[in-house]
Amino acid sequence: MISKFYAIIIFTLSATVASAQTAVIKGRIADSKSKEPLPGAYVHLDGLNKGATTDAFGNFEINKLSAGKYKIKVKYIGFGKFEQEVKVKDNEVLEITIPLAESSQNLKTVTLYGKLNESNESSSRKSEKTAANITNVLSVRAMERSPDINAANALTRVSAVTLQRNSGSDDAYAIIRGMEPRYNNTLINGVKVTSPDPVSRFISLSVVPSDLLDRIEVSKTLTPDMEGDAIGGTVNLVFKDAPEHEYFKANASVGYSAIFFGRKYDNFNQGSVLRKSPTERFGPDYKVPGGYFTRPNLDFTKNNAPLTSLAGFTFGKRFLNNKLGIIIADSYQNQYYGTNSEFNIAIFDPKNDNKPVISDIANRTYSTQQLNNGLSAHVDYKIDDKNKIALDNVFLYTYLAQTRLSIDTSIIGNNGGRVGPGTGTVYNDSRSYIQNQYTENLKLSGKHIIADHFQFDWTGVYSNATANSPDRADLTLNRLINPDHSSTPDYYDNISRIWQKNGNKDLSAAGSLTYTTDLNAHNSLQLKAGGLYRHSTRFNNQNEYQLKAAAEANGVKSVFTDIYSTNWNVYNTTGTDLHDKANYTAYENITSGYGQFRLQLHQLDIIGGIRVEDTKQGYNTNPVIPDERSNAKKTYTDLLPSLQLKYKLNELSNLRASFFKSISRPALYELVPTPTRGEATDVTGNPDLLHSEANNFDLRYELFPKNEEQFFVGAFYKNIKNPIEFALKNLDAGGQAQTAPQNFGTAKVLGAEIVYSRYFGDFGVSGNYTYTYSNIKTTKSFNSTTSDAQGVLHTVTVDKLQDRPLQGQTGDVLNVSLLYKNDKHRAFAQLAYTFTSKTIPFVYDGYGYDYYIQPQSFLALSGEKLVSKHFTLTGKVNNLLNTPTTIKINNLVQAKDVYNVSFNLGFRYAL
Amino acid sequence: MLYNSKTIDMSTKSIYLMIAGILLAAIISSCKKAEVTTFNEVKIPTSSPISAGDISGFTKGTLLAGQTYTVTGDITVKKGDTLSAQPGAIIVVKNNAQFNINGVLNLLGSQDKPVTFNSDTNKPGTWGGFQCDTAQAVNIKWTHIDNTGGPDLAGNPRRTLVVSKLNVPVDIEDSWFSNGQDDLMGLFGAKVTILRNTISSSGSTDGEGINLKSGATGIVAYNVIFSQAGSGIKLETSKTIPFPQTEVAVYNNTIVSVGWRRGSAEPGRSVSVGVNAIGHIYNNIFVNCYHGLEIFNDADVKNTNYGNNLFYATVDTFTDLVVPTIKINIRDNFYPAGASGTPQATDLISNTIGNYDPLFVKFDGTVAAPNGFPNLNNFRLQNGSPAYGTGNNKYNQDLGAYTTDGKGNQH
Repeated sequence: MISKFYAIIIFTLSATVASAQTAVIKGRIADSKSKEPLPGAYVHLDGLNKGATTDAFGNFEINKLSAGKYKIKVKYIGFGKFEQEVKVKDNEVLEITIPLAESSQNLKTVTLYGKLNESNESSSRKSEKTAANITNVLSVRAMERSPDINAANALTRVSAVTLQRNSGSDDAYAIIRGMEPRYNNTLINGVKVTSPDPVSRFISLSVVPSDLLDRIEVSKTLTPDMEGDAIGGTVNLVFKDAPEHEYFKANASVGYSAIFFGRKYDNFNQGSVLRKSPTERFGPDYKVPGGYFTRPNLDFTKNNAPLTSLAGFTFGKRFLNNKLGIIIADSYQNQYYGTNSEFNIAIFDPKNDNKPVISDIANRTYSTQQLNNGLSAHVDYKIDDKNKIALDNVFLYTYLAQTRLSIDTSIIGNNGGRVGPGTGTVYNDSRSYIQNQYTENLKLSGKHIIADHFQFDWTGVYSNATANSPDRADLTLNRLINPDHSSTPDYYDNISRIWQKNGNKDLSAAGSLTYTTDLNAHNSLQLKAGGLYRHSTRFNNQNEYQLKAAAEANGVKSVFTDIYSTNWNVYNTTGTDLHDKANYTAYENITSGYGQFRLQLHQLDIIGGIRVEDTKQGYNTNPVIPDERSNAKKTYTDLLPSLQLKYKLNELSNLRASFFKSISRPALYELVPTPTRGEATDVTGNPDLLHSEANNFDLRYELFPKNEEQFFVGAFYKNIKNPIEFALKNLDAGGQAQTAPQNFGTAKVLGAEIVYSRYFGDFGVSGNYTYTYSNIKTTKSFNSTTSDAQGVLHTVTVDKLQDRPLQGQTGDVLNVSLLYKNDKHRAFAQLAYTFTSKTIPFVYDGYGYDYYIQPQSFLALSGEKLVSKHFTLTGKVNNLLNTPTTIKINNLVQAKDVYNVSFNLGFRYAL
Repeated sequence: MLYNSKTIDMSTKSIYLMIAGILLAAIISSCKKAEVTTFNEVKIPTSSPISAGDISGFTKGTLLAGQTYTVTGDITVKKGDTLSAQPGAIIVVKNNAQFNINGVLNLLGSQDKPVTFNSDTNKPGTWGGFQCDTAQAVNIKWTHIDNTGGPDLAGNPRRTLVVSKLNVPVDIEDSWFSNGQDDLMGLFGAKVTILRNTISSSGSTDGEGINLKSGATGIVAYNVIFSQAGSGIKLETSKTIPFPQTEVAVYNNTIVSVGWRRGSAEPGRSVSVGVNAIGHIYNNIFVNCYHGLEIFNDADVKNTNYGNNLFYATVDTFTDLVVPTIKINIRDNFYPAGASGTPQATDLISNTIGNYDPLFVKFDGTVAAPNGFPNLNNFRLQNGSPAYGTGNNKYNQDLGAYTTDGKGNQH
């Protein structure tokens, strides 16, 4: 359906450029010094509304010209202008090579006011070179050339950025310098986007298609004008801006996940899911009759996995004498993927020196359909040279349908009359789940030069994200496998039906005033003051119904044959809507202001200043038994100084040093003392949780030998007070321990990074490596056995200090990619390798042991070939090594997720 | 030291003198008319009396003897407050309400005048019981608590009586519990004294009679548990927090017809000891239970001891009414296969009908029965019962809840 729609658009747009003329001007644009082709340069014919953008190999072609004289003009930011008059005859194909010289003078004028064409690699380097703070920039061209269909994949190739992925889903959150997502900020067009996800403050990067992106900026240090809640750094996804020429690009591809070569795709009847809960339909007092709930969504079928399909287009144009620019992009992804997962729970074994031992084993298979549609629109209006207004709208829609089939068994506990694995009571748990996510982000912003030296910037943002998960249905059966391996039939254990909804809404306003003045020919001073106010609210609503087995005449549980002939009793007939433990509302108000100066001397660039952030957070729950923790308010104010120095050693190299203070706030759900459903264990919030405060020191040497080449080496130190980590805490009503976010003291993080990229003729290599050492001393439980006067042994649990790395901190991160470019065959290939060393995902409470995500290596291959003027064939293979995510505690495998290889084949069309 | 040196100084002669003196004094005093002091019976007013009628919300004070109260909504006893009941108080609970105890609960009935708690509908699972998660102390004596266990507003199944705090003293004696829906008692970490109670027909299709976990300690003795859905008495330590260990002496209980309603995938046990718990299991009588005494492999097997228990079945095999192909030989499961428990020399283990029949005064022969099934049995023992005189004397000379020394169950 959708791809047909795209085909029609391609067809109609192609038709508009058709005419009867026969002459052609074609050629190639290259750097006059390095002879490197320059992609993305715009060639146009003066006085005519005609032009072309160079492709990845610097080639362009303007056809259907009538005979006559033309003036060719080329504009390419960062390079000098080019103009030449040519003459063509009918049927003539004129070939021309255009050399462009790099111009630093030109760049300077551009950065003063306006924007860089940062969508290609060489200008990415430029922005890194001139940026006020320590940044890495990934351009759209680098993204188009590699196997990245979404921002998440693309990000892994930025220096020291890795991704945290959740089991069974494609969701991914950025980890900068090996630090957990919580220490980083994800922005879209410089603005925080609310998340419907209960667990994260940010949207998953996998729902942002890379086609929408103009570039990704990763800032590893903060200036006072940036929001202060980033310790690792900030990821800014910058969406495409209206181009100065008509722009149309489209792509489509199909793919398949190799995991479905080995097994079927599990599905259920998605149409039978009732979107509204009984309470929503009939009111809070409605008592549900036994037969109310649908059954086909618990009737699981095995099918062949459908093909994954991806399509997208971007269209941009300027109107009204280039004053009004519009760009619209849409990206559609309908992916089918799977995970085979092993999940085991480890506990102390008091009989064996308290070594960890596996207590429960679960095998899970996930089959997931994820449909993403991202629609972004950008309108900018240049009122005059001094005033510009822009409107950005980003709308993301995600539909998720997931089947989880699980077999669980306890080795220890849960009435363990078993002689080994595979005996005892075995639970078969089958779950159907659909979710609709809507994220709307509307931003209105303006830039005004209000006087000679004064610039005023303002932004207003409305952001709203909701996730609606109707009727998450979970069927549990159990059977007993006797020591002789004979088995009882399956008994119906329980069905739960949960209607869950949550939402996040943000309203923000920000403004700044900048004063810039030249001190002399080489020196300038900039003073900036501004502020931001944001009001965020969040709600979570859950309504759960328990369907217990209807007892047979003798009172015994019934045997399960199939879902259609099962009898159940609705245990809580009015649902849990009024008093569900997971229901809450929460808010966060942030008020901040800053003063910043930037002094640009001949070789030295100094930025410094101070930011003040005032935070108010609070929540309200409505439990059955209210207590003093049912609602709470927290307030705190942080003073965040920042100083950044850039010393220009020469035209090609810089030395940077910086200090800044930053914070990390707990996510709202982490404060609310109610359980939030997790993949394996539920997480209970902790109102006593303190926000993290960090002092950050950075040093970096940068060398830019030539176009598209770079070499960085840097070191950093962070002292983080009260990092937030997850561990077990106290007992709940069932006598079980809960997982809760907690503070364990102060962590020290020390690291070094190196970035290098270079091209040798047709080959290119780019790589980066970060080493990080982190340490936190925390108390852990130690079971100490002593003998009393009578010689009787007593074991008590005592606290004992242990050193360990910070939770989520990766020691080594290595990204290497090899590029091959063949201009003659217009082909391009890239092999990308990523390595991450072991990481603590969760703090184990026992002394001497920790959970570690095992080291991982990922390999991806992509290639493309231009087959005609407009069409490029593309192919991508991800996760070539079929790398699992394995969590071990000592040598015990606690969890293992296998995703397998995925393939993608398609084409790209460019006007 | 000082005392010791004195004793050494004392000669044998002086000891004789002292004895003679004491005897003389005793003879003289026995001739004397004793002085009698008689107090006039003065009515001491009850502190904080609660007036009869509707009650709900934050409550403290005393539910008065002979009065009837109607609970219309949840009652909460705050930390530091006490809710008491005098003998003969009658409490009727409406609207599926529950008692939340953060302070002290003192339900003190007497043998003649028990305290009574029941719902207005008198149907199983129609009120919420006592949610004493963070209570300071719980004392229940001679009290009827019936038909508890409906779901709460958050959809959670409610145990009839739950404590989940380490070392909370819980003393439950001579009381009756019937027709609960989940665990009847869930006492996690508590210091328990559970004596001479009768628990009948509780747990819908799951739930233990007395569930002791997470470092609970104390004694469970002379109780009768009849037709519980899951296990009669379950001991476990938390999997994630192995210390302090649960350690309970379970002796002289009579446990009959438990463990059938969960289905054969999760058979219930008369008594089970699991996950790092320590049990001392003696002198109990187990009749017609799905599984008998199960010492799981993950229990603290080394420190657990047991013996002098009587195992009996009134039928050779029990045919599962749901799955007729399943025929359960109850006698095979007295000590279930795959676990660490083994028959002890002191046990009385029946090998056929009639062998080691405990000779209950009245027993209807129930094996599996529904939740709420009437308990019209009399588990006292007839003369000639093999349970008499075969007990471990550390606990009692006899087996079961009804013993000849009068220390046993009074119901």
